[in-house]
Amino acid sequence: MRALVIDDSRAMRRIVTGILGGLGYETRQAGHGQEALDVLHEGWVPDLCTIDWNMPVMDGLQFVNAVRANPAWRPVTLVMVTSESEQSQIVRALAAGAHEYVIKPFTADALRDKLALLGLLPQEAVL
Amino acid sequence: MTLAPDATARAARPLITSLIDEATVGAIAGEAWVALVGEEELLVPVPGALPEDALSTWVDVVGPWTGSVVLTAGHGTAVELTRALLAEATPAVLEPEDVTDAFGEIANVVGGNVKAALPGPSTLSLPQVGDAPAVRNPDDVCRVEVLWRGQPLVITVQGALPSTSPQHENPHHENPQHENPHHENPHPNGVSL
Repeated sequence: MRALVIDDSRAMRRIVTGILGGLGYETRQAGHGQEALDVLHEGWVPDLCTIDWNMPVMDGLQFVNAVRANPAWRPVTLVMVTSESEQSQIVRALAAGAHEYVIKPFTADALRDKLALLGLLPQEAVL
Repeated sequence: MTLAPDATARAARPLITSLIDEATVGAIAGEAWVALVGEEELLVPVPGALPEDALSTWVDVVGPWTGSVVLTAGHGTAVELTRALLAEATPAVLEPEDVTDAFGEIANVVGGNVKAALPGPSTLSLPQVGDAPAVRNPDDVCRVEVLWRGQPLVITVQGALPSTSPQHENPHHENPQHENPHHENPHPNGVSL
Protein backbone atom coordinates (compact mmCIF):
# COMPACT_ATOMS: atom_id res chain seq x y z
CA MET A 1 0.00 0.00 0.00
CA ARG A 2 1.12 3.55 -0.69
CA ALA A 3 0.92 6.62 1.54
CA LEU A 4 1.67 10.25 0.80
CA VAL A 5 2.64 12.23 3.91
CA ILE A 6 1.86 15.95 3.52
CA ASP A 7 3.19 18.34 6.16
CA ASP A 8 5.28 21.50 6.04
CA SER A 9 7.28 20.30 9.04
CA ARG A 10 10.12 18.00 8.06
CA ALA A 11 10.16 16.64 11.60
CA MET A 12 6.52 15.68 11.44
CA ARG A 13 6.95 14.17 7.97
CA ARG A 14 9.80 12.03 9.28
CA ILE A 15 7.73 10.90 12.27
CA VAL A 16 4.60 10.01 10.26
CA THR A 17 6.67 8.39 7.52
CA GLY A 18 8.43 6.31 10.17
CA ILE A 19 5.13 5.12 11.62
CA LEU A 20 3.62 4.28 8.22
CA GLY A 21 6.83 2.67 7.00
CA GLY A 22 6.79 0.49 10.09
CA LEU A 23 3.28 -0.61 9.20
CA GLY A 24 4.47 -1.67 5.76
CA TYR A 25 3.51 1.33 3.67
CA GLU A 26 5.55 2.55 0.72
CA THR A 27 5.74 6.29 1.42
CA ARG A 28 6.46 9.59 -0.27
CA GLN A 29 6.45 13.06 1.25
CA ALA A 30 5.25 16.53 0.25
CA GLY A 31 5.83 19.85 2.02
CA HIS A 32 2.49 21.40 1.05
CA GLY A 33 -0.70 20.70 -0.86
CA GLN A 34 0.54 21.80 -4.28
CA GLU A 35 3.61 19.59 -4.02
CA ALA A 36 1.29 16.72 -3.10
CA LEU A 37 -0.96 17.42 -6.09
CA ASP A 38 2.14 17.35 -8.30
CA VAL A 39 2.90 13.84 -7.01
CA LEU A 40 -0.63 12.69 -7.86
CA HIS A 41 -0.49 14.32 -11.30
CA GLU A 42 2.73 12.47 -12.10
CA GLY A 43 0.77 9.25 -11.61
CA TRP A 44 1.88 8.17 -8.14
CA VAL A 45 -1.62 7.77 -6.66
CA PRO A 46 -1.54 6.59 -3.04
CA ASP A 47 -4.06 4.59 -1.04
CA LEU A 48 -3.71 7.08 1.82
CA CYS A 49 -2.81 10.74 2.25
CA THR A 50 -2.06 12.13 5.71
CA ILE A 51 -2.59 15.88 5.54
CA ASP A 52 -1.56 18.74 7.78
CA TRP A 53 -3.94 21.72 7.77
CA ASN A 54 -1.75 24.81 8.05
CA MET A 55 0.84 24.80 5.30
CA PRO A 56 2.27 27.42 2.94
CA VAL A 57 1.37 27.56 -0.78
CA MET A 58 -1.66 25.26 -0.51
CA ASP A 59 -3.19 24.29 2.82
CA GLY A 60 -4.67 20.95 3.73
CA LEU A 61 -8.30 21.91 3.20
CA GLN A 62 -7.53 23.24 -0.30
CA PHE A 63 -5.75 19.97 -1.05
CA VAL A 64 -8.76 17.92 0.09
CA ASN A 65 -11.04 20.00 -2.13
CA ALA A 66 -8.69 19.57 -5.10
CA VAL A 67 -8.47 15.80 -4.68
CA ARG A 68 -12.21 15.42 -4.27
CA ALA A 69 -12.78 17.48 -7.45
CA ASN A 70 -11.01 14.81 -9.52
CA PRO A 71 -13.06 11.59 -9.90
CA ALA A 72 -9.90 9.63 -10.77
CA TRP A 73 -8.64 10.19 -7.22
CA ARG A 74 -11.87 9.17 -5.51
CA PRO A 75 -10.35 5.95 -4.08
CA VAL A 76 -7.67 7.89 -2.17
CA THR A 77 -8.37 7.94 1.57
CA LEU A 78 -7.70 11.35 3.12
CA VAL A 79 -6.78 11.63 6.79
CA MET A 80 -6.18 15.05 8.33
CA VAL A 81 -3.26 14.97 10.82
CA THR A 82 -3.20 18.41 12.35
CA SER A 83 -3.10 20.55 15.46
CA GLU A 84 -6.31 22.29 14.29
CA SER A 85 -8.64 20.80 16.86
CA GLU A 86 -11.62 23.17 16.90
CA GLN A 87 -14.86 21.28 16.33
CA SER A 88 -15.81 23.60 13.48
CA GLN A 89 -12.53 22.84 11.68
CA ILE A 90 -13.06 19.10 12.01
CA VAL A 91 -16.56 19.46 10.54
CA ARG A 92 -15.21 21.55 7.64
CA ALA A 93 -12.56 18.97 6.79
CA LEU A 94 -14.96 16.04 6.93
CA ALA A 95 -17.56 17.94 4.89
CA ALA A 96 -14.91 18.66 2.25
CA GLY A 97 -14.23 14.95 1.88
CA ALA A 98 -11.66 13.93 4.47
CA HIS A 99 -12.33 10.46 5.89
CA GLU A 100 -10.75 10.83 9.30
CA TYR A 101 -9.16 13.38 11.59
CA VAL A 102 -6.15 12.83 13.85
CA ILE A 103 -5.30 15.64 16.24
CA LYS A 104 -1.67 16.40 17.06
CA PRO A 105 -0.17 15.38 19.36
CA PHE A 106 -0.89 11.75 18.59
CA THR A 107 0.81 8.46 19.32
CA ALA A 108 1.79 5.79 16.81
CA ASP A 109 -0.89 3.56 18.29
CA ALA A 110 -3.57 6.24 17.80
CA LEU A 111 -2.68 6.59 14.11
CA ARG A 112 -2.57 2.82 13.69
CA ASP A 113 -6.02 2.50 15.31
CA LYS A 114 -7.49 5.10 12.92
CA LEU A 115 -6.06 3.25 9.94
CA ALA A 116 -7.42 -0.05 11.26
CA LEU A 117 -10.90 1.53 11.49
CA LEU A 118 -10.55 2.60 7.86
CA GLY A 119 -9.41 -0.87 6.80
CA LEU A 120 -6.10 0.61 5.71
CA LEU A 121 -3.58 -1.51 7.58
CA PRO A 122 -1.26 -3.31 5.19
CA GLN A 123 -1.52 -7.09 5.52
CA GLU A 124 1.83 -7.38 7.30
CA ALA A 125 0.66 -4.93 9.99
CA VAL A 126 -2.51 -6.93 10.64
CA LEU A 127 -0.70 -10.22 11.13
CA MET B 1 -20.23 59.18 28.43
CA THR B 2 -20.35 57.35 25.14
CA LEU B 3 -17.27 55.47 24.00
CA ALA B 4 -16.13 55.69 20.41
CA PRO B 5 -16.68 52.38 18.54
CA ASP B 6 -12.96 51.56 18.57
CA ALA B 7 -12.70 52.21 22.29
CA THR B 8 -15.79 50.06 22.92
CA ALA B 9 -14.29 47.16 20.98
CA ARG B 10 -11.00 47.44 22.85
CA ALA B 11 -12.77 47.60 26.19
CA ALA B 12 -14.83 44.52 25.33
CA ARG B 13 -11.99 42.27 24.21
CA PRO B 14 -11.18 39.52 26.67
CA LEU B 15 -7.88 39.12 28.47
CA ILE B 16 -6.22 35.73 28.25
CA THR B 17 -6.38 35.36 32.03
CA SER B 18 -10.18 35.25 31.79
CA LEU B 19 -10.06 32.55 29.11
CA ILE B 20 -7.41 30.06 30.14
CA ASP B 21 -5.32 29.41 33.24
CA GLU B 22 -1.76 28.29 33.84
CA ALA B 23 -2.85 24.78 34.81
CA THR B 24 -4.61 24.29 31.48
CA VAL B 25 -1.67 25.61 29.46
CA GLY B 26 0.67 23.41 31.50
CA ALA B 27 -1.54 20.37 30.91
CA ILE B 28 -1.67 21.03 27.14
CA ALA B 29 2.11 21.33 26.99
CA GLY B 30 2.57 18.24 29.15
CA GLU B 31 0.32 16.20 26.89
CA ALA B 32 2.23 17.39 23.83
CA TRP B 33 5.52 16.44 25.46
CA VAL B 34 4.41 12.93 26.32
CA ALA B 35 3.06 12.30 22.81
CA LEU B 36 5.79 14.01 20.79
CA VAL B 37 8.91 13.74 22.90
CA GLY B 38 8.33 10.52 24.83
CA GLU B 39 6.19 8.82 27.44
CA GLU B 40 8.77 9.35 30.16
CA GLU B 41 9.28 13.01 29.34
CA LEU B 42 7.74 15.18 32.01
CA LEU B 43 7.53 18.93 32.37
CA VAL B 44 8.20 19.81 35.99
CA PRO B 45 6.46 23.00 37.13
CA VAL B 46 9.57 24.64 38.57
CA PRO B 47 10.86 28.00 37.30
CA GLY B 48 14.43 28.38 36.09
CA ALA B 49 16.53 31.13 34.56
CA LEU B 50 16.71 31.05 30.78
CA PRO B 51 20.24 31.10 29.34
CA GLU B 52 21.61 33.98 27.27
CA ASP B 53 21.17 32.07 24.02
CA ALA B 54 17.45 31.53 24.57
CA LEU B 55 15.43 30.92 21.42
CA SER B 56 11.70 31.32 20.95
CA THR B 57 9.18 29.69 18.69
CA TRP B 58 5.58 30.80 18.40
CA VAL B 59 2.31 30.64 16.54
CA ASP B 60 -0.18 33.48 16.31
CA VAL B 61 -3.86 33.04 17.11
CA VAL B 62 -6.29 35.48 15.50
CA GLY B 63 -9.90 35.51 16.63
CA PRO B 64 -12.02 36.78 19.51
CA TRP B 65 -8.71 36.73 21.42
CA THR B 66 -5.64 37.62 19.37
CA GLY B 67 -2.08 36.92 20.41
CA SER B 68 0.74 34.42 20.35
CA VAL B 69 1.58 31.13 21.99
CA VAL B 70 5.33 31.33 22.63
CA LEU B 71 7.74 28.62 23.71
CA THR B 72 11.18 29.80 24.86
CA ALA B 73 14.19 27.67 25.76
CA GLY B 74 17.95 27.68 25.56
CA HIS B 75 19.47 26.77 22.20
CA GLY B 76 20.92 23.57 23.64
CA THR B 77 17.50 22.59 24.95
CA ALA B 78 15.99 23.21 21.51
CA VAL B 79 18.61 20.91 19.97
CA GLU B 80 17.95 18.25 22.60
CA LEU B 81 14.21 18.59 21.96
CA THR B 82 14.79 18.10 18.25
CA ARG B 83 16.73 14.89 18.85
CA ALA B 84 14.04 13.63 21.21
CA LEU B 85 11.25 14.51 18.79
CA LEU B 86 12.89 12.87 15.80
CA ALA B 87 14.17 9.88 17.82
CA GLU B 88 15.42 7.24 15.38
CA ALA B 89 14.59 9.57 12.47
CA THR B 90 17.26 12.03 13.66
CA PRO B 91 19.70 12.65 10.80
CA ALA B 92 23.38 11.89 11.36
CA VAL B 93 24.15 15.61 11.12
CA LEU B 94 21.54 17.87 12.67
CA GLU B 95 21.22 21.06 10.60
CA PRO B 96 20.02 24.38 12.10
CA GLU B 97 16.94 24.04 9.89
CA ASP B 98 16.13 20.75 11.61
CA VAL B 99 16.12 22.54 14.96
CA THR B 100 13.93 25.45 13.84
CA ASP B 101 11.58 23.03 12.11
CA ALA B 102 11.18 20.67 15.07
CA PHE B 103 11.06 23.45 17.66
CA GLY B 104 8.43 25.20 15.54
CA GLU B 105 6.36 22.08 15.21
CA ILE B 106 6.18 21.78 18.99
CA ALA B 107 4.89 25.37 19.17
CA ASN B 108 2.40 24.49 16.44
CA VAL B 109 1.03 21.54 18.40
CA VAL B 110 0.87 23.39 21.73
CA GLY B 111 -0.57 26.50 20.05
CA GLY B 112 -3.20 24.55 18.15
CA ASN B 113 -4.46 22.96 21.33
CA VAL B 114 -4.40 26.27 23.22
CA LYS B 115 -6.43 27.79 20.38
CA ALA B 116 -8.99 25.01 20.72
CA ALA B 117 -9.44 25.95 24.38
CA LEU B 118 -10.14 29.60 23.51
CA PRO B 119 -13.36 31.06 22.11
CA GLY B 120 -13.51 30.64 18.35
CA PRO B 121 -13.51 30.71 15.50
CA SER B 122 -9.83 31.55 15.33
CA THR B 123 -7.06 31.06 12.84
CA LEU B 124 -3.58 29.75 13.55
CA SER B 125 -0.45 31.00 11.82
CA LEU B 126 2.47 28.92 10.66
CA PRO B 127 5.11 28.61 13.38
CA GLN B 128 8.01 31.04 13.49
CA VAL B 129 11.35 30.89 15.27
CA GLY B 130 13.49 33.76 16.47
CA ASP B 131 13.31 36.43 19.15
CA ALA B 132 10.08 36.29 21.13
CA PRO B 133 7.38 38.82 20.31
CA ALA B 134 7.13 41.61 22.85
CA VAL B 135 4.56 41.51 25.62
CA ARG B 136 2.14 44.31 24.71
CA ASN B 137 -0.03 44.13 27.79
CA PRO B 138 1.30 42.53 30.99
CA ASP B 139 -2.29 41.85 32.08
CA ASP B 140 -2.91 39.80 28.92
CA VAL B 141 -0.34 37.08 29.58
CA CYS B 142 -0.59 33.54 30.88
CA ARG B 143 2.91 32.34 31.72
CA VAL B 144 4.04 28.83 32.61
CA GLU B 145 7.60 28.03 33.67
CA VAL B 146 8.78 24.44 33.69
CA LEU B 147 11.88 22.31 33.65
CA TRP B 148 12.46 19.62 31.05
CA ARG B 149 15.42 17.33 31.75
CA GLY B 150 16.47 19.98 34.26
CA GLN B 151 16.52 22.76 31.68
CA PRO B 152 14.17 25.77 31.83
CA LEU B 153 11.34 26.26 29.38
CA VAL B 154 8.83 29.09 29.36
CA ILE B 155 5.44 28.91 27.68
CA THR B 156 3.52 32.16 27.38
CA VAL B 157 0.13 32.86 25.88
CA GLN B 158 0.29 36.60 25.32
CA GLY B 159 -2.04 39.13 23.78
CA ALA B 160 -0.98 41.03 20.66
CA LEU B 161 -2.83 44.20 21.51
CA PRO B 162 -1.75 46.98 23.86
CA SER B 163 -3.49 47.59 27.13
CA THR B 164 -6.50 49.87 27.23
CA SER B 165 -5.00 51.16 30.46
CA PRO B 166 -2.78 54.25 29.84
CA GLN B 167 0.15 53.02 31.96
CA HIS B 168 0.47 49.88 29.80
CA GLU B 169 0.40 51.48 26.36
CA ASN B 170 4.06 50.78 25.59
CA PRO B 171 5.46 47.33 24.81
CA HIS B 172 6.57 45.68 28.02
CA HIS B 173 9.95 44.00 27.96
CA GLU B 174 9.89 41.73 30.94
CA ASN B 175 10.22 38.06 30.12
CA PRO B 176 10.81 35.76 28.34
CA GLN B 177 14.25 37.04 27.45
CA HIS B 178 15.18 38.25 23.98
CA GLU B 179 11.83 39.71 23.07
CA ASN B 180 11.21 41.29 19.72
CA PRO B 181 10.03 44.87 20.31
CA HIS B 182 8.51 45.13 16.80
CA HIS B 183 5.75 42.57 17.13
CA GLU B 184 3.16 44.68 15.32
CA ASN B 185 5.15 44.16 12.13
CA PRO B 186 4.62 40.48 12.60
CA HIS B 187 7.81 38.95 13.85
CA PRO B 188 10.41 40.52 11.54
CA ASN B 189 13.16 38.46 13.14
CA GLY B 190 11.21 35.25 12.90
CA VAL B 191 11.78 32.48 10.45
CA SER B 192 8.62 31.31 8.76
CA LEU B 193 8.58 27.54 8.66
